[in-house]
Parts: sequence; structure tokens; C-alpha cells
Amino acid sequence: MARPLGEVHKRFLQTMMAKGIIDGDKAKALLRHCCETHGAPINDHLDEFIEVINAQLQPMFMQIRKGMSEEDGLQYYALVNMAETDVTRMSSDYADNELELFRKKKTMDLIVDSDTGTASSTDILNCADSLQTKKLKKKETEHVLNRLVQDEWLKEKQGEYSLSTRCIMEMEPYIRRFYQDQVKLCHICHNVVLQCQMCENPTCGIKIHVPCVARYFKGRTDPRCPACEDFWPHEIPEVNRPSSQS
Amino acid sequence: GKEKASQLHAEGSSFDPSAFAENLLSFMGLNRLEDEGEMSGGYLPQDAWQKVGNRAQCCFRTAPTFHYMLGSFLAEPPPPRQRIA
Amino acid sequence: TSQVQKGLDRLTPAQVDLKTAEVVQFIFVKDQKKIPIRRADIVKHVVKEYRNIYPEILKRTSRTFETVFGLSLKEIDSKNHVYILVNKLDPPDGELLSMTPSNPKTGLLFVILGIIFMKGGVVKESMVWNTLKKLRVDPGEKHVDFGDVKKVVIEEFVKQRYLEHVRVPHTEPLEFEFRWGQRADIEVSKVKLLEFMGQLHDQDPQSWSQQYREATTPQASTAPSGPVSQR
Ligand SMILES: [Zn+2]
Ligand SMILES: [Zn+2]
Repeated sequence: MARPLGEVHKRFLQTMMAKGIIDGDKAKALLRHCCETHGAPINDHLDEFIEVINAQLQPMFMQIRKGMSEEDGLQYYALVNMAETDVTRMSSDYADNELELFRKKKTMDLIVDSDTGTASSTDILNCADSLQTKKLKKKETEHVLNRLVQDEWLKEKQGEYSLSTRCIMEMEPYIRRFYQDQVKLCHICHNVVLQCQMCENPTCGIKIHVPCVARYFKGRTDPRCPACEDFWPHEIPEVNRPSSQS
Repeated sequence: GKEKASQLHAEGSSFDPSAFAENLLSFMGLNRLEDEGEMSGGYLPQDAWQKVGNRAQCCFRTAPTFHYMLGSFLAEPPPPRQRIA
Repeated sequence: TSQVQKGLDRLTPAQVDLKTAEVVQFIFVKDQKKIPIRRADIVKHVVKEYRNIYPEILKRTSRTFETVFGLSLKEIDSKNHVYILVNKLDPPDGELLSMTPSNPKTGLLFVILGIIFMKGGVVKESMVWNTLKKLRVDPGEKHVDFGDVKKVVIEEFVKQRYLEHVRVPHTEPLEFEFRWGQRADIEVSKVKLLEFMGQLHDQDPQSWSQQYREATTPQASTAPSGPVSQR
């Protein structure tokens, strides 16, 4: 039998439901606050604590999953759904045509098939013309995109949309299943890679997450591709240090 | 008989919705403009209602809601993979 | 009952667990928009061919909400069997509160429920709109936070059962009044509401003696609110 959950676990889980995703530092702080609120001794073993919750969530096909952000390279925790049933399809956050705009053949294709892991708002607006469920006007499409950004499924930067960390964490099995020919794994961390730098040697073409690039090439004066040894022609970003407490 | 008795016992402060609105506007951080009538003037900061919501949250035992993307739509079977015979 | 037991005997534990998980999913889906859940819909959309063991499935669902999520499935209408999901944990405060900013609509609800409660349980619709207008919320205009306010108040809040919006009989032109809905009765703490009122008016909550009495006496007459597992 899985261990029963106390109020601290339930409080943590409820906050994860409300927030969807939080970074590692916030998760540690959250656990501390939950312990304080319920007068429990401070628990520093976040991952073990989450394992106890996950054991109880498993029968409901839910999970608090740990993953890395393509953007800042930090650890995140997200509460994800793993069930794909007639019941979960009744989920009411988005209408059918709004989901069609987001999913395969539309926005997700544009993002996954691109070399940069991004899609321009122009391209997304264009593909909205061919929706099969129900047409979306330009204004409506923009409104849906805004909501997808607000709900943390998409990320927007200067008119370019990418999949958010929350989205990749929950949708990774879907991405691996439906884009097995297009999607690559990061040469360094071996996770699905969308936003990245790519080796320009046409016979190589490996992809590396930007934060993985930063960590891998840190301090090297002559950056070379870890696979083919060709010169790595991209700008090497600084390593993003997680904020002080850890 | 009975109703009257309870009304007699119902001394204590009365509640004036106008005063309530005025006090709530102050709580929201209303920037009152000078030389204006009491109700017309001033503008509210952008987070005015968020502020009331945050403070009022402790009155509600609302269950958090669960939102997800995976599973919210029917995933069609993957297209047949093209293979070179 | 033995009927349920017979049904259970014909199923594997895994089948019963799976069905329970689906009912949990269904209730979470309905709760995304805080729509009360009807037993008829649970049976029709989820339980289906397992309807003979429905009581057992609902008992397990209710237990899951309590033991895993700290939530409680409550029946708000015992005639039509309608349920809502309520939090068993106290609302967050301090640091925890700052981590979970609320929805501005909670503020709007507080205002309306507050007026109704302070005015003795029922108010004319016009009083609510007049007060909201003073708060720069005009039912005729699109609001930045709430959009179509009129729709939010008399459709959304009513559907969610936070509010009751009923016609006053024999009025010409038509008049409506607001009362607390069953969800508000179960979800909202009158004591905490009165405390916030006191803070706003810089006044002791006890000075509203009638409201204070109502807030502090446990009510026997409110909607049936026992947890489902007892039924
Ligand atoms: Zn990587
Ligand atoms: Zn290479």
C-alpha cells in the first residue's frame, strides 16, 4: 500500500494544481511554507516528498513531473495529466477549433518542424485559415494565442511562439509519438529538444539546448561540435545560475 | 409578534452599501482627484480587483482546479511512415 | 447492498479502480468551470455499464478526493443528486497566500455575497448594480477584469450556484432579487467575510450584532452538506 498523505502533501498538491508549474527554488519554498502552515517539521527532501504524492496520483494518471526548461536551463516541477480518454477530452478550457489551432498539423507542427523551435505569429495566423472544425477570425486567433500564453502552454517573444516548459513537460510523450521523425534529442541531456543551437555540418546537424550549450562549452576557447568536431559557429551563452538558495 | 421582537433585538450597526463602496474604493487604492464630487472622480489602479480577490480569498473554501493540455483532444494515429523499400 | 456486492464480484479490482479514476477525471473536468455535477451525467457519460455498482464507485471517488487531494465531494441537492467539490483545507495565509494570487472574480463575488449577507440574506438586483457602479463596474459596459459583467453575475455565478437570482412575484416592471446559492452556503465563511467587512469599515465585526450572531451560530437549516460517503 502506498503511504497515506498528510495535510502538508495535500496542501502542496493543491498549490501545484493552482499553479500548474513552478521552478525548483519555488517548489522548495512551497514545501517549507506548507510545513510551517501545518506545524510540521521542515522537510528538505523535496523529491522524496513528491514521490509519496506521485504514488497516490498514479491511479488517477496524474503526476508531478520534474524537468528542465529549454529557456533558462533551470529545474521545474509541473503537475501533468497522463490520461487520454473520452472523459479527459471533455476538458473545457479550449473549444475544438482552438485546440485544432494548437495541436498537430497546425501550431505544434510549425514549431516542431522549425530549426529554431519557434513559429511566427504570421505563420500561425495563416494556418488558422485552414481550420476544419470551425474557422477562427484573425482577432479570435490572436485572442486564443494570448490565452495559450497566459495559461502557460505557449511562450511568446517578439511575435515568435515556442512551446512552454509546462507544455513540453506534459506533452513529451505525445511529441515523441507523433513527431518521432522530426524531433531530435539534445546531444548533451538526451531530452526532446526544440529551442536549440544546431551543428551546421550538414552530415551532422546535432541539436543542443541553449542552456546545455552554455554548460558544455563553458570556459572552452575553441568550441567544437561534440559529435563531429567541426567548429561550433554560434554564440556561446552565459551559464544561467539558479538564484542563490538551493 | 415574533418578527417584531427579533427586530427590536436587532440593534447594532446598520449596513450602508454606499459607505461600503467608498471604503472598498479606498482599499483598492483609488487615486482621488481634487475638485471632484465624491463619486465621480479618481481612477483605480490596474490591480484593484485582484487586490480585493486576494484579500477575499480567505473567505472561500474553493477547490483548486486541474488543467491540462495532453488528453484534452483526440490524438489521431500517426501517419504511416514512409519507408524506402 | 448485496446487489452492489454481486456487481463487484463480477469485476476485477483493476476495472473498478479504472472506473473510479474516470469519475475523478470527470468531476475535475466539470469543476474547471465550477459547474455542479449531476449524478445523471456521471452515470450517462462515465459509469455507463457499471451503473449497478454506482454507489461503490462514488464512495471510492469521494474517498480519493479526501485522502489524496484534501477535497470533499458534497451533495448540494439530495433530490436531483447534484454535487460540488469543496476544499477541506483552510484557505492559505501568509507566504502561502502570496504564492497563489487569486482571480479578480473572487473580489466581485465577495462584494455581491457581502452585500446580500449584510442586508439580511436577500437584496434587490438594483442594489447590487448600484453598488457595483460606484465601484466602476457598469453592467452596460465591458469591464477589463470581468468582460460582460452582467453575464458573469446572472449567468456564471448562478450556474456555479454561488448566487440565486429569482423574480420577485407580482412586480411590474419585472424585479429580481439575489440570495446566496448553495455553493456559497458551503464554501464561504461568514465569520471571515464579516472580519473583512470590519477591516474595510474600520469597525468591530461584532458591532453588526445580527450578522455576527448569524455568522457564529452553526446552522441546522442550510442545504444538505454531508459528505457523499455517508449516503
Ligand atoms: Zn539538453
Ligand atoms: Zn556536428
